[in-house]
Formats: sequence, C-alpha cells, structure tokens
Amino acid sequence: MPRITLTLLLLTLATPAHAMHISEGILPLNWAAVWFVVAAPFVALGLRRLNALSCDDLSVKPLVGLLAAVVFIISCMPIPVPTAGTCSHPCGTAISAVLLGPFVSVLISTVALLIQALVMAHGGLSTLGADIFSMGVVGSFVGYAVFRGLRSIGAGLGLAGFFAGLLTDWATYLTTSLELASGIRGSDPFFPLFAKIALAFVPTQLPLGVLEGAMTAGMVLLLHKKRPDLLVKMNVLTAAEGKVHA
Amino acid sequence: MRFAAADISGQGHLLARLDSRLKLLASLALLVMVVSHKGVWFPLLTAAAGVAICFSMGVRPRLLLIRFSEPLVIALVVLVLKAFFSGQTVLWSFNIAGMAIFCHQDGLLEGIRIASRIMGACAVVATVGFATPFTELLAALAWLRVPQGLIEVTMFAWRYLFVLADDAQVVYAAQRNRLGYVGFRRSFRSFGTLAGALVIKAFDTSQTMTIAMVQRGYDGSLPMLKHRPFRLEEVSAALLAVLAMGVLWQM
Repeated sequence: MPRITLTLLLLTLATPAHAMHISEGILPLNWAAVWFVVAAPFVALGLRRLNALSCDDLSVKPLVGLLAAVVFIISCMPIPVPTAGTCSHPCGTAISAVLLGPFVSVLISTVALLIQALVMAHGGLSTLGADIFSMGVVGSFVGYAVFRGLRSIGAGLGLAGFFAGLLTDWATYLTTSLELASGIRGSDPFFPLFAKIALAFVPTQLPLGVLEGAMTAGMVLLLHKKRPDLLVKMNVLTAAEGKVHA
Repeated sequence: MRFAAADISGQGHLLARLDSRLKLLASLALLVMVVSHKGVWFPLLTAAAGVAICFSMGVRPRLLLIRFSEPLVIALVVLVLKAFFSGQTVLWSFNIAGMAIFCHQDGLLEGIRIASRIMGACAVVATVGFATPFTELLAALAWLRVPQGLIEVTMFAWRYLFVLADDAQVVYAAQRNRLGYVGFRRSFRSFGTLAGALVIKAFDTSQTMTIAMVQRGYDGSLPMLKHRPFRLEEVSAALLAVLAMGVLWQM
C-alpha cells in the first residue's frame, strides 16, 4: 500500500501535459517493432478506406487532413486537472471516429501523431506504432463501437457522444499503461507494474475522460444544432433525421 | 500552443544543406542503435552530440529546452519509478510519514538506462527536425515508399494546422472573455462548442479548398517535391557518420 501511495504521489505530481503519448526511446527495439507490426494493418485498412472514399469525392482527402489538424490541436490543448494539480489533454480520436468511422480515424491519429513526433517531441518515431495502437486503433474502435452501440439502442446524440468520448479516453490510457508496462518492466513481473502505471493515471485521467466525453457530446450537439447536413453526410444521422432537425 | 520547432534549413549549416533522404535514413539508423543499445553511454553520447549540433545550427537554448522538457520529465518519472518500485538490491532507504521507502540499485541502473535512451532518441529526432523543413521530411518519407495517401493527408493537415490553431485561439479567447470557462459545467460546454466549431471550420475549409484545387487541375493526388540526384560526397559523409556511430554502438 505505501508503495502504491508513493507511486500515485510521484506520478500525479510529475504527470506531464502530454502523458498520453509514449515518449521517444522509452520502448526497447523489440517492443517498438511489435507495436509497429500490430498497428500497421489498421493503418493499411484506413488508407484503403480513404482511397475508396476519395474515388467518389475529391474533398475527402482535404477533409481528413483538416480533421487530423483538429485532432492535433485538441490533443495539444492543456486542460487544468484540479485533482492532480497539473494539466493534461484529451485524445480527440472519439470525434474523428464518430464522424468518419474507425479506420479513417486510425489514419487521422497516425497523421496527428506523426506531426507531433517530428515537430514537438510529443510521442516519437520509435514509439509511433505503440502510440498509433493506443490512441488510434483502440481509441477509434472503442469510440465508434460505443457511439454506434448506444445509438442503436435509442440513446440520444449527446449521451452517445459523451460515453464515446469517455470510454475512448479511458481505453486509450489503459492501453498506454499496458504498452508502458510491457516495455519498461525489464525482469519485473508484468501485472504489478501495469497496475501501478494504470493507477498512476487515475487522478488525471478520470476527470479528463469526463472532459473528453463532454467535449465529444458538445461537438455532436453543436453539429446537430448548426449543421445537421454534415452529420447526414458523415452517416451519423439518416437523411430523414437530418431533415427533421434542419 | 507552442510549436517547439524551427525550420532553419536556410541558415547554411552543413546538416541543413544535406539531402533530406540521407538525413532521414541516417537518423532512423541512429534511432535503431539508440533504442537497441544495452548500455548508458551510447545514448548519452548521442544526446550530447545531438544537442551540440542543434546549438551549432543556431537553435536557441529556450527552444531546445521547450523541445526537451517533456522527454526530460518522462525520463525523470521513469527513473524514479524504476529506482523505487523495481529491483532487489537496496541502495538506501528513508521514511516518509512512517512509510519505509527503498531505493534499489538494480532498479536505479535500469531507470538510468531507459532515461538515457529517451534522451538519446529525442536528440536524434530533434536534430533532424531542426535541420529539415517539414515538407522536405514528407518528401523523404514518400521516397521511402510511405504510402502516398498518408503523405497527402499529412500535407493537408500541416498546411492548415496553423490556420485552425489560430481560429481555436480566437474562439477560446472569446469564450474566456465571456466567462465561458467559469465552473465545470460551463467549461465542459464551452470546450465542446470549441471542438464543434473547429470541425465545422475544417469541413467548410476542405470544401472551399477542394473547389479551388479542382479549378487548378487537382485530380485527387498532390505533386511531391522533386529530389535532386544524390551527391557522392553527401552519401559518403552520411555513410561515414552512420558507420562511425555503428562502431561506437558495438563497443
């Protein structure tokens, strides 16, 4: 117990503003390679989906690029987290997953992470595979599945958006903890270290997940109010639903 | 949002004039060496060399500090985590509020190893980032057969990143001035509105941009920067540098 308490103390005090990204060089070569291999098929499928969509509509690539810029900006916004006395930031992937589907969302995360790694030292090239997997793959698929699942049982846009954002954030951080624990454990057992890292994220990520949920819900509701045509175009609403609210 | 980057390729430094493909290949080779090294001195040597090169390129210390601040914090956290919660051999101990805390020698060494790896790898990427314009890096990635679709989307994102960031700042400032971030509920609502406004802006801009590009002949693929042929002296220099680091890596 004292160890867990001290871990929490140390890591909440030191949780950096961009803790979601696994820093450059933190993973040894074998683990960096493993995560690249795991993430690569999802990126390839995202590219395939992008090419299929852009055959019909030339504006798809610019739109995906600009949404990647939006995800980049959102994931760079330092949000004060009073419980931890520090700042953290949302992932932004729930938004792209809800609007464009999980595969294109993986691509959007890849682009945002690549720019952050090369320009801002958030994340890194050697850890790009791990970061894509946690933020892009897990975040996008969880966000999309939760949003579509809740919508299919009749939940409103705001509620579905909130839980999509909330669970995207928490799933991303759990995956990051798993990747970190497997990468830095050395000869130590995996599960205790995983538990410590996951616990260390709790004070920051619990409230931040709520923020991410509120942000996603706010975004969907604003689009619903101001531009329902966009939600129809992106298959979030049916044409009939869009006409009702237009 | 502070962008800790600087395109300083126009300042005439030797590294800035080097072909971007060679820089990328050499830095990737160096990155692999750093993350696969089992010791401490090679990553630290790489970090020191990277910082020295950045200074010689005229990168301001403040910019370098911003760039390294996050990796430094993470390296410190990992070091503390490994020293206090990993390992068997107790180096020293102390008490905090009746709790005995142990620092382990083997954990500390492992922490130092990971921290040095973080600093070495960050220095490699920072050096190539400061020495190469982003668009040239993308062209080099395209030459390395990174899929065209990914490069194109990244170029669109890079082109409009700063425009959207400025818009976000304007909306955020307007919200703050109208007490949009007072209290949790209002803050959450304001943040959602900000994200939604950015999405609408992104969508409208993408439509306008597509129309403008189609009128100029856009057919769904963007032209890439053309590379000049490799020069023998550049290739030799890059090879020599990588070989020298390779020899050091094996020692």
